[in-house]
Amino acid sequence: MRWSRIAPQLALTPALAITAVAFVGSIGWTIYLSFTRSRRLPEYGIDWSEWGRQYDRLFRDAGWEISLRNLIVLGLGSALAIVFGFILAAMIDKEKRGESFFRTVFLYPLAVSLIVTGAAWRWILNPTLGAQSFLRSLGWEVDFNWLAQGDTAMYAIILASVWQSAGFYMALMLAGLKGINTEIWSAAKLDGVPLWRVYIEIIIPMMKFTFITCAILLSLGVIKAYDVVVAMTNGGPGQSTWVPAYFTINALSAKSNLGYASAAAVMMLVITLVVFIPLVALTVWQQRKREATR
Amino acid sequence: MSQVSVSERAAAAGEVPVTRAPYFVRRKKGITPRSIAVLVFLTICALFFCVPLYVVVVTSFKTMDQIREGAIFTLPHIWTLEAWDHAWNHACSGIKCDGLKVGFWNSVSILFPSLILSISLAMVTGFALALWNVRWAGGFLFLLFICAFVPFQIIMYPLIVMTTTTKIYGTLWAVAVIHAVLAMPVLTLIFRNYYKDIPTEIMSAAMMDSGSFWRIFFEIIVPMSGNILIVVLILQITNIWNDYLIGVTFGGLTGQPMTVNLANLITISTGTTNYAHNMAAALLTAIPPLVVYFLVGKLFVQGVTAGAIKG
Repeated sequence: MRWSRIAPQLALTPALAITAVAFVGSIGWTIYLSFTRSRRLPEYGIDWSEWGRQYDRLFRDAGWEISLRNLIVLGLGSALAIVFGFILAAMIDKEKRGESFFRTVFLYPLAVSLIVTGAAWRWILNPTLGAQSFLRSLGWEVDFNWLAQGDTAMYAIILASVWQSAGFYMALMLAGLKGINTEIWSAAKLDGVPLWRVYIEIIIPMMKFTFITCAILLSLGVIKAYDVVVAMTNGGPGQSTWVPAYFTINALSAKSNLGYASAAAVMMLVITLVVFIPLVALTVWQQRKREATR
Repeated sequence: MSQVSVSERAAAAGEVPVTRAPYFVRRKKGITPRSIAVLVFLTICALFFCVPLYVVVVTSFKTMDQIREGAIFTLPHIWTLEAWDHAWNHACSGIKCDGLKVGFWNSVSILFPSLILSISLAMVTGFALALWNVRWAGGFLFLLFICAFVPFQIIMYPLIVMTTTTKIYGTLWAVAVIHAVLAMPVLTLIFRNYYKDIPTEIMSAAMMDSGSFWRIFFEIIVPMSGNILIVVLILQITNIWNDYLIGVTFGGLTGQPMTVNLANLITISTGTTNYAHNMAAALLTAIPPLVVYFLVGKLFVQGVTAGAIKG
């Protein structure tokens, strides 16, 4: 019996080592570096009189401010994917015909790299040869030249993100809708309640857990958004489409400013935790509830 | 009892198909105006989702002369494979112009070691955490849960230093190993959740029979893991193939996967852009995961939702 205690622990050592070194240790290392004056190479002395200098600089940096603003814009814009996903899921769920066909079509963008997604939308949004010139040749005066202008470039990124992820939220919502007891539909039908009111007053409140999960996954995805920005605009025009992930990697690779990049990375971690803590609380609450009803 | 638990218990008890059946049959009889409206709306949405794919496909077969006419949605006048040939054999990434085939083979060589490493590590860890009495298993699981959400940027620099000191930075191995490391928390949680539902009778019988950790793992657990293995495999194939950030960070100049080549190609700012070449390159990069998706779409859904929810 002694062996049966040692073998599993031995089997866990690689995973433990990876967690300790690549995750916990590395996070500590980056946090430490954010208090140093490191530039191209790490410097491990901390000047305690101004340990927060990287953060001071960061909060005064216009590029960081743009990044944070874009993060919020991207988050609100991508939330359309949840709304859209719910509408699609509700329709597919109510109208059984073609369920697997529609699901396949709506979900395929998720299988493709965001770099490919970016390449495709970049081409469609091309002002002289893309959709704009086509629609204008039909006589519609539309303005799709989003990518070239700083104040609209984020819309293009939002469009590509929504296109890519709406199917994913649809799949989650569909799973949630399938879990709803069908007696509700018959009851509502008997009472003569219109369908849209059933959705708004009964179905959506019942699915609040699914909605919260989607919202948290969306926020985490938005914080990580990097590929789509690189592929669509590469941060431009100017700094107008910078997001924290882009800012951090840019500070490290283009500006070779290690301390500064570390401070930005720590702020990303803080933002993630702010989103993450409700998730943990929710999971615990959900589990308690499940045990209570059992 | 709240409403959430009603729906959950309905799902758990498997009532859904039973109570749904009569509803389904009744609706099938006639097609109501509302059904038509819904189907029309869904079809329009489906078309919107297909527009980018359609545009990319037709553009990749066009000549540059036709592209300059500015009619993005028209079919090619002359179907040509010139762009595909160029993208595969001669497209430039940085200063080298050997085409996307370099990146393709790099991606393939990253994919396989990374799959084997990440999945075997996660299987063993998930098994040990789920079915053996390890005292600190709970704490470790919680830690893994947190690690699964950590943004990559916060561990990026230390990982670069580690791969540099072990002299694998800039090689395919660095990219493959980092993929395995970063996927470990999520995959372990997925496997652990799957294994914890294995009946205790099976485990205690196995313990009586041999009692050896590795024998139970290879003779009982691995043969039982078929379903979850396929789901995880699909999840990982698409994740690794579609990754850009890890490839560009750890691949250096020689270990770049296909997505990095593609990104270099489309973000290039000098000279005139040949959109036919770009779209052919984008399609070449998208084909492998799309093939996986259209072959086993249902499992793909399971994979992404498992990765998202349990991760």
